Amino acid sequence: MVEKTVRCPNCGSITTCNGHPGDIVKISCSSCFLDGKVTFKKIFRSKDIAIEVTGLKKKYDNLVAVNNISFKIKKGEIFAFLGPNGAGKTTTVEMIESIRQPTSGSIWIDGKDITTSFNDVKEKISVLPQEFHSFEKLTVKETLVYFSKIYKKRADIDYILNAMDLKDEEKKYYKDLSGGLKQRVGVAISLVNDPEIIFLDEPTTGLDPKSRREVWEVIASLRDRGKTVFLTTHYMEEAEYLADHIAIIHKGIIIAEGSLDELINKYGDESILRIKKSSSKNTVNILKDNGFDAYTEGNGDIAVKIKYKERILEILSILKHDCIEYENIDIRRSNLEEIFLKITGSKLLEAGE
Amino acid sequence: MNLIFVGHDLLANIKGWLRSPGTVFWTVLFPILLILIFGAIFSTGDEIELDLVVQDHDDSLISKEFVGTLNNISGLNVIILDRETDPREYMQEEDKSALLTIPKGLNSTIIEYIETQFNPAEKFDDTINFTLYFNPSDQTTTSILKSIIISVVQHFNLNVTGGQIIFGINEESSISEDFEYIDFFLPGIIGFTIMTSCIYGSIERNTKFRKDGILRKLLTMPITRSEWILSKMLFMLFLSFISTLVILIVGVLIWQISIKINIFVILLIIATSFLFSGIGMIIGRFVKEQETADMAGGAITFPMMFLAGTFFPLDQMPDFLQSIAQVLPLYYVNEGMRNAMIYGDFNKTLYFTGFVLVFSAIFFIIGVFLTKWNED
Repeated sequence: MVEKTVRCPNCGSITTCNGHPGDIVKISCSSCFLDGKVTFKKIFRSKDIAIEVTGLKKKYDNLVAVNNISFKIKKGEIFAFLGPNGAGKTTTVEMIESIRQPTSGSIWIDGKDITTSFNDVKEKISVLPQEFHSFEKLTVKETLVYFSKIYKKRADIDYILNAMDLKDEEKKYYKDLSGGLKQRVGVAISLVNDPEIIFLDEPTTGLDPKSRREVWEVIASLRDRGKTVFLTTHYMEEAEYLADHIAIIHKGIIIAEGSLDELINKYGDESILRIKKSSSKNTVNILKDNGFDAYTEGNGDIAVKIKYKERILEILSILKHDCIEYENIDIRRSNLEEIFLKITGSKLLEAGE
Repeated sequence: MNLIFVGHDLLANIKGWLRSPGTVFWTVLFPILLILIFGAIFSTGDEIELDLVVQDHDDSLISKEFVGTLNNISGLNVIILDRETDPREYMQEEDKSALLTIPKGLNSTIIEYIETQFNPAEKFDDTINFTLYFNPSDQTTTSILKSIIISVVQHFNLNVTGGQIIFGINEESSISEDFEYIDFFLPGIIGFTIMTSCIYGSIERNTKFRKDGILRKLLTMPITRSEWILSKMLFMLFLSFISTLVILIVGVLIWQISIKINIFVILLIIATSFLFSGIGMIIGRFVKEQETADMAGGAITFPMMFLAGTFFPLDQMPDFLQSIAQVLPLYYVNEGMRNAMIYGDFNKTLYFTGFVLVFSAIFFIIGVFLTKWNED
């Protein structure tokens, strides 16, 4: 369902109406009662698009949890939906999964409008809900077999166990697994129907750094298998490490969208190249003479602001040419945390509190 | 309908249940413990020995035969009271629960009846009434005694008149002669066990599975709510039949309970499972937190257990509590089970089973209707 605002050609007052793409809806002006028709344009979708969301809105009484957001997810990519707690991530993903009813907006999965044909796409998608726990007294293998029986199309369970590195755990009860393994089983459950699109809602929340890394590797392997992954997370490192495309949501609105490089180029500061323990006192002046914005930091390190990564090689050749020795060089570029801070004025993890 | 999944889900549930010693304990051992404890308490004597005081105002052959018949009933201790003593005073002084007076004229009434049989022009339409004095605070004993007396009087009517009622009795008794207190409790324990396992089972499905994200996951899978509910109901029925079987085996082997298993018992077990699963679904719909839902389940099952006559006969309770019992579904389950399994009273069994079926349809339909997988 899409919301459309129309200006009355007679009196100029605004009227809103809802309809599906392709619909022709009769309306009447609320002021002068002039009758008219509104055509909702049919949208032709690219076959490369796995999910398309247009004008999605969710309102609870006076609270707008998700406010008119739109985005597209290409097939075969990992899409990270990044935002602090309470930003509207889960509400959005649950609307896409048909768990919640949108107030307005349209959602298309694999070219199908889910408000009318969600049952058609159920075989093609798989969902790992937030804080998912499976049946405690079933073994890992029994759990996978259990969920696979629900689908017509079933993947080979032994293949999934091997691929998810769960073969050694297949006879263990779900309740006896560590947090990381439980999440890995959760992802494995998501593969039992060999889906095209996988939704992972905060899959690493509450895990220790090591377990989180293990789950990241599993998620990265899904892309290698050609799956489209919709990942919601509030961990910026997770989005940076995994995502091909990132949408940052804050207070129900998408505030930035693009690949990591695109976001950094658009919103990030210049990268800083840091030269530690330079052998020459003239290094700063030499770099300045070559057109670089260089300065000495409080600890004696030399910092150089660089906008384009091509200039890194230029700096290295200058240092070599002038026989300047150094202990180490590191380059630091803006990250999603800084981008979020720059756009919203608050830190990502603090914004939801 | 994906019946393969329904069967698979049932097996997975049974597997999970067998692997949970705590759950198996509550489903199987708890009712066994209950029946052993109550059996031990109420089976100290082989049978009930009830005192019945009889005051014979007729003092005829026929009245003596009547007293003799009462004397022959096992478990009944007949005490003869002289004609001069005031029945009420005697009962108060001796703390007796019931006293039966045989009216003067019993013998002559029978003679009159016989005479009319030789004169077709005359019609006999007289009746003569026995009087039963009883202690209202001990209705259990009096109701049992009354049933026995009704049986004997009816037997007399049958023998003397061939069926015409001349002794002022218009009730029938279905009570079995070897009635014991433990017989009273066994159906109650079955009803109570089914109630608790179904209510808590439903609560678990609707709160724990919601918290664990299983319901959200199912919503995105090609399975319908009816398939899911059907498979869970089959599991609840499995548990109900298992616990009933265990209770019956223990009851028969240890307490030598004589029970009747008929279609009504099966119907009652099925209807009771649906009934309390429906109540559990309703609780699970409104109380989202599992701990709170468990408490809500306890708040419903615990009082119902006592008020619906599970462990104590209802007629030992005050009148207002007996009125409350009339609106409790477990009361109809207990009474239905007792009438079907122990008393063998077809009419009462039908009456209570009908109520249970109606309750079960109402609560289960409301429960299914209210059960939601999706969020607002």
